[in-house]
Amino acid sequence: MTEFIQGPLWTIATTIFLIGVVWRITTIMSCKVSGELSRTRGTAGVGSIKAIFGRFVPRKETISSGRFQMITGYMFHLGLFALLFFAAPHVEFLKQRYLGFGWTPMPRWAFVIAAELAFAGLILLWLRRIMHPVTRLLSTLDDQLASGLTFVAMFTGCLALFESYTQLRVLHLFTVELLLIYFPFSNLMHAFTFIISRGSTGTRAGRRGV
Amino acid sequence: MELTNDNTNDATVSHGNAVMKQQIDRSIASYFSSCVHCGTCADACLFYTETRDPRYTPIYKLEPLKKVWKQEYTFFGKLGKALGFSKPLSEDDYAAWEDLVYDSCTLCGRCSMVCPVGIDITYMIRKQREGFSAAGYAPEGLKSAHKRTLDTGSPMGVTWKALKAQIRHVENETGLTIPVDKQGADYLSTLSSLEIMGFPEYISSLAKIFDAAGVSWTLSSESFEATNSGIQIGDSKKAAELVERIVSVATKLGVKNVISPECGHAYTAIRWEGANLIGRPLPFRVLHIVELLDELKRQGRLKTNGKNDARLTFHDPCNLVRKGGVVDQPRQLLNNVASNFVEMNDHGVMNWCCGGGGGVSSNERADELRLVAFKKKKQQLDEIKVDTLVTACANCRNNIEDGLEHYDMDIEVIGLTELIAQYLDTDRP
Amino acid sequence: MTRLSAHAKGLLFAGILLIVSTLSIPVAPYLWLSFSNDTATATETQEQNPRATFWRSVRRGSSGYTAVPGQEAGVVIHGNGLNWREYRVKILAPYGSYLMAGVLIIIAMYYAMRGPINLESGYSGQSITRFSVYQRVIHWFTAILFWLLSLSGLILLYGRYVLIPLLGSKGFAITAAACKEAHNLFGPIFLLALVLLIATFIRDNLYRKGDIDWLKKGGGMFGTHASADKFNFGEKVWFWLVCILGLSVSVSGVLLDFSILGLNRTAMEIAHVIHSAAAIIFISISFGHIYLGTVGTQGTLDGMTKGSVDANWAKHHHDRWVPETGNQEAIQHPLTSNMREAPGD
Repeated sequence: MTEFIQGPLWTIATTIFLIGVVWRITTIMSCKVSGELSRTRGTAGVGSIKAIFGRFVPRKETISSGRFQMITGYMFHLGLFALLFFAAPHVEFLKQRYLGFGWTPMPRWAFVIAAELAFAGLILLWLRRIMHPVTRLLSTLDDQLASGLTFVAMFTGCLALFESYTQLRVLHLFTVELLLIYFPFSNLMHAFTFIISRGSTGTRAGRRGV
Repeated sequence: MELTNDNTNDATVSHGNAVMKQQIDRSIASYFSSCVHCGTCADACLFYTETRDPRYTPIYKLEPLKKVWKQEYTFFGKLGKALGFSKPLSEDDYAAWEDLVYDSCTLCGRCSMVCPVGIDITYMIRKQREGFSAAGYAPEGLKSAHKRTLDTGSPMGVTWKALKAQIRHVENETGLTIPVDKQGADYLSTLSSLEIMGFPEYISSLAKIFDAAGVSWTLSSESFEATNSGIQIGDSKKAAELVERIVSVATKLGVKNVISPECGHAYTAIRWEGANLIGRPLPFRVLHIVELLDELKRQGRLKTNGKNDARLTFHDPCNLVRKGGVVDQPRQLLNNVASNFVEMNDHGVMNWCCGGGGGVSSNERADELRLVAFKKKKQQLDEIKVDTLVTACANCRNNIEDGLEHYDMDIEVIGLTELIAQYLDTDRP
Repeated sequence: MTRLSAHAKGLLFAGILLIVSTLSIPVAPYLWLSFSNDTATATETQEQNPRATFWRSVRRGSSGYTAVPGQEAGVVIHGNGLNWREYRVKILAPYGSYLMAGVLIIIAMYYAMRGPINLESGYSGQSITRFSVYQRVIHWFTAILFWLLSLSGLILLYGRYVLIPLLGSKGFAITAAACKEAHNLFGPIFLLALVLLIATFIRDNLYRKGDIDWLKKGGGMFGTHASADKFNFGEKVWFWLVCILGLSVSVSGVLLDFSILGLNRTAMEIAHVIHSAAAIIFISISFGHIYLGTVGTQGTLDGMTKGSVDANWAKHHHDRWVPETGNQEAIQHPLTSNMREAPGD
């Protein structure tokens, strides 16, 4: 079982993930583009870049109503990003499995802070999702599964931090594999498609000079 | 009430579903893929903020289109459809969402500004309405207005005869001649029926300003209507027909520029959607009257004298400012004729909708909700305590006056063109 | 110097009381440990054997020279370690389990005798908003972390007795390692949650006139109606216990978690004593909070899940709060009572 999880299942999961992500993006990109024949006022390209990067910062008119989600959202996303790419076990894993080279990981204290921010952010966001009437109405099974799988993957990673027990590490790997398999079928795809959606809207806004 | 389009007899759910499918393009596919149901759009929508009803969350209004997207473009959606678990949109779906799509959305675009993943919800609602109207699901008020526009040229049934009468009044009042069907004029001005019947001072203001600035302009007797019920109800085929009417007379008269009047969606219809609707670039430049006035001011052809000293503010028409990109011009113009101009706290591209756009003011069923939503504009005005509100859209003006009366607020409402005309410097050197 | 309003004074007093009580908790176990140190000291005897003298001195935890760098590297045997172990095995574990079991038994007995406190007039169907989305999120955030930490902490303490028989030593080793990591990682987040919780709820938990009368009437738990504002005296006591116990457990936990802070072993032992004692007391009393918030009082859980409570519930349990809510509908229709009023009301 352990060998299966560390070997073939990892290959299957990453393959499904890669093919799935490419497939989803290709499907979107191969949809028709509604042509724009009106005279442009501004620049579409500039609008696109502005939206892709600018939307990381909320508009000042929305800061008071959106404060909770902005803070917890960034806690989660930045924490998770730091963990994924700069946690020492992950850097080592990528080095050994794929890249042959690594990079300087975070020091332990930074790792702990990143993990705590990520967990706090995720739990707070999930609680808000189930408590607030708007997100309660909008949320689907997909949202719950995505939050749940992400939490479980992070949690099992935390359990395996001692790095002394294969069983815990394999459990973490298994939950990550489940997450990778689920990823292309869910709205976790926003991690990639947000560039297309922001770019699209930005293009239109840029043409109008907004 | 059937729609008068080629598909009159095809106003069915299956036709609606087919049209709905056609709407999905790259933007929409990326939007539904990226939405994580965060609910940020809710706090940007006045229908939600003033009612706290979560069903008015903007992205929720798109559930029907999302269902179609899922069934066509996602693995589980396609699987569900193949196995029969997932059914196409039904009569019940259309009926249940009709009021969300038409009564509680003015296509104001504020939600599109705040989405963290950049979803243009307004763009999608506009497309979703295509499916709804093809299925025969649209508010009666809007359907009637649409039919009247297609049959008579005006959503209010205003004929050339009625406009001619107004022109006569204006000519008597101003002593100026309003050019009609003038071949080779520089500018063809279109008008909205609401201006013609409700705010004819717009026409006299135009006459005075153009006379003072030496602008060569004309109206058209054949096709004067600027508004486009097609883009409000979601009938692009007929919307294109309405645009073609303007293109046709503009071409006949040989004008290089067409002026969109003080109306919101009329500007969107011709300036941004017009060419796409008719499938070719427009053979003329389109300007909103505010853009033209600003140009004339910069060229030194429009001179003003004196300033209004009332404490006043500017309501940004959504289609002109946020969706149209005409942001600074109204402010530049106002600063020339007002000495006590105060911005609302949320202003410019983030101002709040008046609640009457996107066909909502033509929809009697939505009257009560519209007035509840107006509380947001009321709150904005209470915050800055002004005596006068200036705007550049007749529908906004009408809706705001309605709201002010309902809430017993003593604020004067005036159009920007009208205000400028009041301070026009007619002395020629 | 500006005059402070009564409200600000109340907050300031509460803050000072909180800090003083939190800092005074180390005193009790510290005193005990000092006493234990004295009894553990061997009596001096005349000794000719230098090796025995040397050994005795090492056994007492004397520090010598070593080339190894690091905190207390020159101390070969930490004498107090045994005392600490005695505390853990002979005091904490058994008495902790007696306390927790005792509280559960009392609750069970109360439930058996009294049953749940139901709404005598039933639900009115009218709702009054009690907690905002943010308040509920913060409460459940704290609760989830409390649950995670209690569970992992109890496994770390009692696992050898309860889980080794079930999982075997190897199985328990894995479980314990996992629980240690989870406990250490989520601990500091609990501190964050606690700070947010205190900030959110402190205002409504200050003592107000009338609170002591609620206590005198047994909190309405034994049949008579007891008037209360938004939070009754019992709830306020729970809030302050959460503050004190929570901060004790969190601060001591952070000191234990981060050896980088450079505490010596004795300080770590003290921190552990505080941490474990406060945690067990905290868990025990939480059983009461959980009982009363769920099974024990009909209609209470709605406040923390839905955010609003039935008007009859509000009038029954928090009648002085109802007028403050501004909910005119509820205010203007007072409950027609078939409740038993306490004599003298």
